[in-house]
Amino acid sequence: MAKHFETLFKSKEEKEIILSVKNLTIEFSSDEGSVYAVNNVSFDLYKGETLGIVGESGSGKSVTSMSLLRLIQEPPGKIKHGEIIFHSKKFGKIDLLNISRKQIRSIRGDEIAMIFQEPMSSLNPVFTCGNQVMETLMLHQKLKRKAAKENTLELFERVKIPNPVETFAKYPHQLSGGQMQRVMIAMALACKPSILIADEPTTALDVTVQARILEILQELRHDRETATVFITHDLGVVAEIADKVMVMYKGNVVESGTVLDIFDKPQHPYTKGLLACRPRLDLKLNVLPTVGDFMQTDKEGYITSISNAKFKSVGEALLNNYQVENEHRAEVAEKMKSAPILEIKNLSTEYMQSKGIFKKKVNITRAVNDVSFEVYPGETLGLVGSSGCGKTTLGRSILRLIEPCNGAIIFEGQNIMQFSQRQLRSLRKDIQIIFQDPYASLNPRISIGEAIVEPMRVHKLYDNDNERKEKAIELLELVNLSATFYHRYPHEFSGGQRQRVCIARALALNPKFIICDESVSALDVSVQAQVLNLLNRLKAKFNLTFIFISHDLAVVKFISDRILVMNKGKIEEIDYSEDIYNKPKSIYTRELIASIPKGNIDDIRKAMMRRKLRDKNKGNRLSA
Amino acid sequence: MLKFILKRIAYGFFIILGVIHVVFFLFHALPGDPVQMMLGSRSDKEAREAIRHELGLDLPLYEQFAKYLNDLSPISIHHDTEKNQEKYAYQKLVDLGHHALVVKSPYLRRSFQSNQRVDEIILENLEGTLVLALASMLFATFFGIIFGLIAALKQNTFWDHLVISTSVMGISAPSFVMAIVISMVFGYYLHEYTGLPLTGSLWSNDPLLGRQLQLQNLILPAFTLGIRPLAIIAQLTRSSMIEVLSQDYIRTAKAKGLNKFAIVLKHALKNALNPVITAVSGWMASLMAGAFFIEYIFHWKGLGLKTLKAVEMLDFPVVMGATLVVAIVFVLINLVVDVLYATIDPRVRLT
Repeated sequence: MAKHFETLFKSKEEKEIILSVKNLTIEFSSDEGSVYAVNNVSFDLYKGETLGIVGESGSGKSVTSMSLLRLIQEPPGKIKHGEIIFHSKKFGKIDLLNISRKQIRSIRGDEIAMIFQEPMSSLNPVFTCGNQVMETLMLHQKLKRKAAKENTLELFERVKIPNPVETFAKYPHQLSGGQMQRVMIAMALACKPSILIADEPTTALDVTVQARILEILQELRHDRETATVFITHDLGVVAEIADKVMVMYKGNVVESGTVLDIFDKPQHPYTKGLLACRPRLDLKLNVLPTVGDFMQTDKEGYITSISNAKFKSVGEALLNNYQVENEHRAEVAEKMKSAPILEIKNLSTEYMQSKGIFKKKVNITRAVNDVSFEVYPGETLGLVGSSGCGKTTLGRSILRLIEPCNGAIIFEGQNIMQFSQRQLRSLRKDIQIIFQDPYASLNPRISIGEAIVEPMRVHKLYDNDNERKEKAIELLELVNLSATFYHRYPHEFSGGQRQRVCIARALALNPKFIICDESVSALDVSVQAQVLNLLNRLKAKFNLTFIFISHDLAVVKFISDRILVMNKGKIEEIDYSEDIYNKPKSIYTRELIASIPKGNIDDIRKAMMRRKLRDKNKGNRLSA
Repeated sequence: MLKFILKRIAYGFFIILGVIHVVFFLFHALPGDPVQMMLGSRSDKEAREAIRHELGLDLPLYEQFAKYLNDLSPISIHHDTEKNQEKYAYQKLVDLGHHALVVKSPYLRRSFQSNQRVDEIILENLEGTLVLALASMLFATFFGIIFGLIAALKQNTFWDHLVISTSVMGISAPSFVMAIVISMVFGYYLHEYTGLPLTGSLWSNDPLLGRQLQLQNLILPAFTLGIRPLAIIAQLTRSSMIEVLSQDYIRTAKAKGLNKFAIVLKHALKNALNPVITAVSGWMASLMAGAFFIEYIFHWKGLGLKTLKAVEMLDFPVVMGATLVVAIVFVLINLVVDVLYATIDPRVRLT
């Protein structure tokens, strides 16, 4: 078996090199000094191969990819040195950093094309989708409008857009995220590029949609032998699609190798940390290992020491935090014996669009449709489903931030649905909510200390501001932030730190119940692990009850005692977390589980076999 | 779209009705006696009473208002007499004995001062105002967008700073000062080189050739009037453009291989125009009514000057008429702008 794989990679070596980056160094300067966003990075890309660049925000992975097309803003960015040798069909062997603007323009979109992270913002809102794809064709292939339109429709079919003709005339805002990304892919593939750069192309999408997009990319790569540079922070996705992987940290390549090597025998502590900190579906862990367990870093995040790390290998880290399933189940069963803290009975929430002068109610959408469940004190109930399934609406309906249309919400024996506005306000003391985007949910003009003190003041907790301030400092320390941060403003903090501030603010009122609405979705995996651990620690310390809403089943499975799967406003199933994963009852849950990239070695092997087989078939076809 | 336009026209009707209310009652709350203004201070009391009666000014206010609305309304009830037939030029719909339900074009009455028909006065003066406002807005929009684009593309360079500082000057200079300075400099001191007159209207009456179009008279007032909108449009275009250029879809356009020209003019400008259109429409509307200083200094025959004089003389029908026309123009411009928004940005839905 092993030998077989060796030959596989040998054969890759013989393939044509299409791009080679040598000692690329990119500096970004600001008023506070300059940083090397990319430091001495070198790699080769072969024809038909997929290279995964993995790293977290600030690792320089996006900057590297953008520099291949010279798309970096100068200033503040500056390419200090290095070369990017590209084997162009038009110009032969050239250094992309040393050619004229006209030449690089004729390579962009034609020989090297790019797909971006946010399809919603990467398409121009004022032009139709068809128009934007046609533009590329007309520009590089000098096609006339009619021919370009035909080609575009073909491309749309290729990337499996339903109703290509209709989509052609639609504007981006009329499409779903997945459809938009397909349009982006169609645009990138329009001129049959020899290199496709995909910068986090599936990060903003649902897992089920992500699975389909990855499939399309795989197929296209085989049909056209396009080399792909796939940038992502998600190791699971890399495992599905890449042949080779390059792990970046703080602008440096810390490790590179074949996808099997990286997953099977990671060498660098950072890679190990990244692998270990992903919430897993197959194991039940007490605490998620973090990157910090594998290496120590200074304030800026540069690695200082790896010798006295807590764990040396991924296996060790997992073993140390492993929890026996039955114990956990017994714990949850124990919690469920007490009276529920929250009971939802036949809750429905509708969105309405009114029309006409008399505001006739038409187009009723039932975002939450007759939902009933219970939450027991001290447990974490995970709420999972793809976007648009109504999970966020449900979370907000519980607090009546969105007014439900019927049903009962019984919190500690009282029906919230009958509360007056004043009662509702005092209820918000007991039930807090932590939102998804820590950037948007902190007021940029209020210092973080003030942000934590404010709710205490509103609800008249403690006697005076001094006491409140003391409490705020205590909370900051509780969420592992320094007390000296009290007077600082949100923009000085990273996403993870901000989310900690939001957590501290939620805790300020000593709530009994916290609703986390996608609270870790915007964070890097390593930071996500830290925040999840923090939430678990706080839950134990204060005996909190959580509803944890997320689209990510792996995250939900790690943190939750029980999981509620939602689809189209209804409950698909509700059960112990382990049972949801091991014995899913509904088809929808099964689909959801199947589309999650798992990143385990067996799956990687299978994926590689599949690829190899296709290559072989294709070779046979060609020779025949 | 058609439904939207009809709806907006219906709303516009209510807006104009509101305007009529406000102006009518405001004007009657003003101190002063229009009749005295007509006859001078040495007139005798009987004559004044007689005219007051003839104009209906002795009636209670609500009755005056009802009569005025009746005069304005295209469908109205009048005494069916020959005199009225001549005055209103109506078509009878239903005969009601002495009265008749009629259809007619709105009757704006006659000026207290000159006894000229108000619609004629407005028609005479509106052209000058419209031409002046349009010319200055065209000038301001064209150059404003160009300067704004230059500043945005050359951000933080000499050209950017030049555009910004000049535009700040343009915004802060009061228009009457600018008007005097510009007319003096270009119309008087530099007259030899520019050949532009100090003052003048759109039309002149030549004893031999009759009415003559005098386009050269338009240049200085339009330029003066356009300075401030130009400065504001330049700044708006700049900031809006800078924001749009940092958007992801501009990066996509670059990655496609488009050149800077296509990126800026095709992909960015269309997205950056909305705030500019808002500014243009707002200015266009306010120039219709607020060009008084310019009209005064350049002796440009226009509605602003006429209205101001009418207010001074308490010439009620003229003021009412002019206000109405300006209000209608406002409503129309707003309608056009909303339709423009929707054609430029497909995300805007007309409801």
